[in-house]
Amino acid sequence: MREIFKKTMLAASCAAALGGINTTVQAADWLSVQGTEEHGTAGRAKVWGFIQAQYQSDNSKPNGAGTYVPPKLIGPDLDSQEAFNVNRARIGVRGTGMPIDPNVNYFFLVEFGNNAITNPGNGFAKVTDASITLNHLKEYARVRAGQFKIPMAEEVYQGIALIDYVNFTDGVNQMLLERVPNRAYTGNVAPQPIGSTTSLNAFNQSIDAARDVGVQVFNTFNVAPGWEASYSVMVGNGNGINSSDNDNAKDYHLYFSTAKVFKGTGPRRQDWKTFAWYTNGDRHIDGNNDGVTEEYERKRYGVGSRYLKLPFRVAVEWIKAEGVIFQGPDKPSFGLLPPSIGNPNHPANGLNPNAEASQWSVDLGYYIPNTKWELDLRYADYTRMEDSIAEFDWTAITLGVQYHFNKKTRLTVNVTDRDVEATAFAAGAGPNANLDGIDKRYAVQLTHIF
Amino acid sequence: MKKPMLKLAAILVAASLSMGAFVAQAAKPFAKYKVVLQISDPNPFKQTLVLNVASNLVKHYGEDDVDVEIVAFGPGLRLLMDGNANGGRIDGLAQKGVRFSACANTIRNFGSKLGEDPKMDKHATVVPGGIVQIIELVQQGFILVKP
Repeated sequence: MREIFKKTMLAASCAAALGGINTTVQAADWLSVQGTEEHGTAGRAKVWGFIQAQYQSDNSKPNGAGTYVPPKLIGPDLDSQEAFNVNRARIGVRGTGMPIDPNVNYFFLVEFGNNAITNPGNGFAKVTDASITLNHLKEYARVRAGQFKIPMAEEVYQGIALIDYVNFTDGVNQMLLERVPNRAYTGNVAPQPIGSTTSLNAFNQSIDAARDVGVQVFNTFNVAPGWEASYSVMVGNGNGINSSDNDNAKDYHLYFSTAKVFKGTGPRRQDWKTFAWYTNGDRHIDGNNDGVTEEYERKRYGVGSRYLKLPFRVAVEWIKAEGVIFQGPDKPSFGLLPPSIGNPNHPANGLNPNAEASQWSVDLGYYIPNTKWELDLRYADYTRMEDSIAEFDWTAITLGVQYHFNKKTRLTVNVTDRDVEATAFAAGAGPNANLDGIDKRYAVQLTHIF
Repeated sequence: MKKPMLKLAAILVAASLSMGAFVAQAAKPFAKYKVVLQISDPNPFKQTLVLNVASNLVKHYGEDDVDVEIVAFGPGLRLLMDGNANGGRIDGLAQKGVRFSACANTIRNFGSKLGEDPKMDKHATVVPGGIVQIIELVQQGFILVKP
């Protein structure tokens, strides 16, 4: 803990020193776009939000007993293979409460859609963001406090209304969108038939939505003509959007990026951005069903680069996870196989301190010139529980077409060809008995930002 | 001895003020068109709009043929506060001869709420009253436009 604190302070001091290079700031990176308002122009309350209405169909086959595991079903409900859904419906306000003082701004957003944020507990709405930013020392550091996104992988840190695909990659979904562990030991749920009354989603709290409650010091600087650098140091509860801390342990989040700016400002800026991030914290989970929680270290880090200069987009990311590896919504205590139950250190248990996972992905986009059409292609290879008896290899290639009705409205069509296998087992054996038969997923989504 | 010195100082101050006023009001004495743009609205889009209008006027008539002054008062004074995100555009327009006037009454009013007077953009000239400045410019033949 002390070591992390030292590293955090070192990063902060380096960043503050960097701040002296140039004090001109453009609100054109995600840190600034999400955490600050334009100086001197922000209104008292700008109402904004977005709606995503979608239809998804999964062609996967059931196992020999006619039952399904979660990857073969449509979330967040996991009780069907085809469904309409309003995945995201968010509305918020942002601005500066006292417009003549541009040094203070706020950001507030509520989720009304049906997803892993609202689905646990059947909540109809959940506050995802509520933060205040102080810009009094904007030449060096801005301070943001409250609940907001953790700077990390671009795929999840970007403004989510602008993501080019309907679904996240498997690695981001499983490693970075943390399912906050149930406090009490909760057993695995067996595969279920369509129409079962038993839910395959056994977590009882909201997904963390890549957010945390805490304090962040951050800023973005022009370091050379056309080049900018940004940093973020954050400490938070490590309990997602579940408001208060569930233990005394805190999470630490570091982020650094550089960008060559080509054109524009704001969320649609064309640039070449390279970034690295690191997050670390402890989780308290009853992994051995003895009624007492144990401490497990959760570590995530990654690097990536994204190039966007119309008509091309190229993005590559590598993400690594150590400890507290999610095993599926049907395994809320992170245990995979029966022998792991009662033994968190079992190689098949995601709580095993040696448990690791990683993903690399590449994303290509082509905006057909002088049309409203965009073509997308994404490949992701996610390895879960690396080098263990429970190693799973997830590969997915997604073809996408988007039609932009206007700058704020678009239709996204995706076809994802997936393959998931337990690498230590032959086809039809062990977990593969349930995983065999995973097939294409089709998704259509209409997005409107207002 | 003291009185003549004070008189001289007063004359110099008056002269410099009148010169300043002369410079502010007749920066382009041979301009064919004279336009004063008013911004007194809190709507941030109005900031962009008033700058766009000024830019379009200069672009259409040419720098020498149009004399544009933007007068900010009330909530619209935010446009001319130091660090405004439109600072780059203000700088660019100033280089093309567009003048910017900031209302002293509003500055004092903002200052009483903020605890100190806000800093103004380097291109802003503080005038006693925004509305007074507009009236005087109109009397000199300026056309008042409130985008």
